[in-house]
Amino acid sequence: MRDVAVVAWAQSPCRAANRRDDMAGILLPVIRETVNTVGIDRDDVDFVASGSHDFYEGRTFSYIDSLDAVGAWPPISESHVESDAAWALAEAWSWLQLGEGDIALVYGIGRGSLPADLDQVMPAQLDPYYLAPLAPHRDAIAGLQARSTIEAGLTSEQGMAEVASRCLASALDNPLAQRSEQVDAAQLLEAPYVSSPLREHDVAPVGDAAAVVILAAGDAARRLAERPAWLRGVDHRMDTHYPGVRDLSESPSTGRAAHRAAELAGFSASDVDVAELHTEYSHQEAILSGALGLKGAAVNPSGGPLAGRPATATGLIRVGEAARHILDGRADRTLAHATSGPALQQNLVCLLEGDG
Amino acid sequence: MTNVLPEPVTTIPNPFRMDYTYVAGAGRSMFLRGLAERKLIARRCAGCGQVYLPPPEFCSRCLTELEAPFELDGRGAISTFCVVSFPFPGQRIDPPYVVAHIQPHGAGTRLMHLVREIEPEDVHIGLEVEPVWVPDDELDTSLLSISHFRPTTEGGADA
Repeated sequence: MRDVAVVAWAQSPCRAANRRDDMAGILLPVIRETVNTVGIDRDDVDFVASGSHDFYEGRTFSYIDSLDAVGAWPPISESHVESDAAWALAEAWSWLQLGEGDIALVYGIGRGSLPADLDQVMPAQLDPYYLAPLAPHRDAIAGLQARSTIEAGLTSEQGMAEVASRCLASALDNPLAQRSEQVDAAQLLEAPYVSSPLREHDVAPVGDAAAVVILAAGDAARRLAERPAWLRGVDHRMDTHYPGVRDLSESPSTGRAAHRAAELAGFSASDVDVAELHTEYSHQEAILSGALGLKGAAVNPSGGPLAGRPATATGLIRVGEAARHILDGRADRTLAHATSGPALQQNLVCLLEGDG
Repeated sequence: MTNVLPEPVTTIPNPFRMDYTYVAGAGRSMFLRGLAERKLIARRCAGCGQVYLPPPEFCSRCLTELEAPFELDGRGAISTFCVVSFPFPGQRIDPPYVVAHIQPHGAGTRLMHLVREIEPEDVHIGLEVEPVWVPDDELDTSLLSISHFRPTTEGGADA
């Protein structure tokens, strides 16, 4: 295996809706920030990978718009995943492992604000025969999962409100968060249900932002960053697409990805100081912490997705936040988790480590 | 077990309706608003000198904001063209007609548009053309504010 690390990371502020900028306009300042952080030109980037979903944009091949921000001039080596951009990071990591180059730039753009009504759009990601015709509310499947998670004894409405309260308080220190406040769980529990047992605070607020991670291998990483955040283990797994086949209170794909990542890394999720989890809903923190086997890690100190969920940039932001603690010298081992699909269908785990 | 296959289901009702907001972006909006006023708005990159028409917000070569907008009159030369000879659903004009890349004088990029008021067999690369704008009451934030391009006349673009 080659040593591959995150050497730079940045994101734009999470906004409920950005009506000023097109895709390239949101992305370009973030790319410029990361490129300047490590002092390279775009010519030094060997590979570009990105992730986004056309169904948030309402047109095909929508990400092409964003290529103006990476400048496919002269022509570049490039790839795109129709998923959260954390999966683009996994592709770039594999590409660097193959020795195709030394520096890769990964970006994610999420514009969850463009659909006028996510209830119109989200059913389209479901099975077209059995589920999509039912046109479930955007949070309906998550509600089923939350109920079964409570029933399994993993959390409670009180516990979910405490997760939300903690995340919103943590986000007070994150100027790029979409939502932040000091609020008691008791106060949150006074709110009405959105999709019982979920209340508004249990649902990560969808919005718009871009995120960029620069990866580098070996000596390039050591040259570009004082303390690279080495990606010691990366793996992703998926459960079946039909939620009715699954026990929704468990996430076996997260467990398998974590196990494989630990084999690669030589340490496991139980050893990390910080874990950034892609919790689209508060109850998922309990499922994920159990599946990963976290022990005493600070979970989502950035505020996590419950403080801002810019659609397909959300998972890549978890990787960036987990790397930041190592780049800044505030942690030695961290974990990033990303998810895609309904009710934690697909899951990705990264184990990161700094030099001693 | 029977070897008779079930009658296949060939359709099921699954109606979708999705409404979206499109965000043109600040750079594109400036250009589109110009079209509604019979203006072609260009911007230059201070770094590499490239003049974009239409202009984005940033130079995609240099990653820097483009300079202040300025107006071009749209007169230019055909850099390439083709003659569309076949009919297809939704076609707005009867074939044959000419679609061209036009290099406006002063711009580093090309605009695609129709070339009319000339026989297709007389069109050639390098032909000087000018925009023909639609009447005032049809002007919009759209490239359709230009009806077509035609061989440059002495009287000027708005003649």
